[in-house]
Amino acid sequence: MNRSVARSKGMSETLLAPAAEAPSEADLTFDRLYRSSRDDIYAYAAGLLRDPAAAEEVTATAFERAYRKQSRFDARRGSARAWLFGIARNAALDELRRRGRDAKLTAEPVDASGLAGDDEAAQSELRVLLADALEELTAGERELVSLKYFAGLSNAEIASVLGISESNAGTKLHRTVNKLREACNGAL
Amino acid sequence: MERSSDHGNLDTALRALRPTPRPAFAAELDERVARGFKSDSQASRSPLATLADRFRGLSPQRLLFATGGTALAAIAVATVLVAVNESNPAPIALEERYAQQQRPPRITQFSEPIPKALDRLAELDRLAGNAAAGQAEGASGVQSSESLSFSAVNRNSGYLRAKREIERSAEITLLAEPGDVGADSAEVFDAVHDANGIVLRSTTTAGADAGAHFELLIPTPKLGDALAAFSAIDEVRSRHEATADITAPTVALGERLQDSRAKIDGLLAQLAAAETQTESEAIEIALRDERLHAAALRARLDKLRQRADFSRVSLSIETGASATDSNDGSWGIGDAFDDAGHILSIAAGVTVIALAVLAPIALTLLLAWLIRGTWLRRARARALA
Repeated sequence: MNRSVARSKGMSETLLAPAAEAPSEADLTFDRLYRSSRDDIYAYAAGLLRDPAAAEEVTATAFERAYRKQSRFDARRGSARAWLFGIARNAALDELRRRGRDAKLTAEPVDASGLAGDDEAAQSELRVLLADALEELTAGERELVSLKYFAGLSNAEIASVLGISESNAGTKLHRTVNKLREACNGAL
Repeated sequence: MERSSDHGNLDTALRALRPTPRPAFAAELDERVARGFKSDSQASRSPLATLADRFRGLSPQRLLFATGGTALAAIAVATVLVAVNESNPAPIALEERYAQQQRPPRITQFSEPIPKALDRLAELDRLAGNAAAGQAEGASGVQSSESLSFSAVNRNSGYLRAKREIERSAEITLLAEPGDVGADSAEVFDAVHDANGIVLRSTTTAGADAGAHFELLIPTPKLGDALAAFSAIDEVRSRHEATADITAPTVALGERLQDSRAKIDGLLAQLAAAETQTESEAIEIALRDERLHAAALRARLDKLRQRADFSRVSLSIETGASATDSNDGSWGIGDAFDDAGHILSIAAGVTVIALAVLAPIALTLLLAWLIRGTWLRRARARALA
């Protein structure tokens, strides 16, 4: 399966491309899933792990596992995106376990430079406060925030990824956001 | 309203904190995805590792089909092997029979230890030598016939000293079609004739219970060839051979015969020296009795020698169930059902044995897999706590 070869650049190449080199439907589906989810998966992993290098590793691992297991995907059990986030979550938790045994993670400092004006200064202050507040959250709470605000999943998708009910996911998320709001009360 | 505004601000601020991947990492991952995650090192991976990867990538349904197909194929192959092995045992049996034929005769019975018997043979020779010397010293014309007999004993002792007396016997059962019994019997007679053997008794039955039985005497040196000839006539159902060492009784009889000869020689000497009629008559009566005794001993000795020279063979031709399954030799629907049932029973046996071996292993693996899954879920949950 070599997409770089199979992907044609013109009609003549398309017509002349050998059938064996043409990407399969499964490959095309995975390709679409990858392009629509790459940054979201990374954002979720980085938000949970607070380590860009580890997030990159987890993202790559998740897509590789998903690629190898794509034939196991069952659409009746949920969306492809939720299935992919489930794989990424397992990879991230494995990384979290490994890192937890080895060393404490360090958060990436929030880059507030380049902001000017009152509103932007307030936003900048809020971001710093939020970053600090995120540091105070538990990994579970941070995971909820990452899935919702960094990866952009709906409550139903979050519930599917975490294996809980949608209402339970909504309740947990509400509590976490309230916790963040309280932490940033002065800046809001 | 204010709370809604706060919420909006928080949402915006949180989304603004969304981490984004480095462009270099994104490009690298794009490339890896485009290559299907095939790394350079993967080209040198072992076929086993590649196969394991493909195995892991299979969906549960495909995995089930693949496992079931493999199991069915394995059972089919094992069934065919067992069935072929069961239905064609002849080559093995023939080889075994050939090996048995090539083996030297097995001494199954000794009535006397060999060194002791050899000592007695040496003593017999010594006595024979002494008697011959005494005979040369005597000048009586009456002794001439007796000395001839004694020479025979002497020859016997030399014969005994040259080789051991081994009695051999065999039982062989042939399996034939009912229509072949007559022809097989004729071949038996031919084989006996070729071996210069003797048919002591023969019985041949025709019809539904067709069969034949032969009691044969075959010259011992030709027994191997004769048995091979009998075995070639038809399928051999069973074959047994037995040997017995009869050296000791032969030697003992030779000794007694030699003693009898010596006694006769003594009586002849007394007869020559007898002075009265009454004395001569008494000696002649004793001489007659002793000669009868010597004749009886010689007859028994001849019988023993015959047992060693000729082997008794009991040969039967049977028409058993396996040979008469199909009366006309053709293969019909009943045979097909029988064969199918047989094959199915073999397949069932193979399956049961395979299950007996694989079920505990599969259960152990399943248990290990479940335990690992549970442990992993808990460990991941702990990592979040």
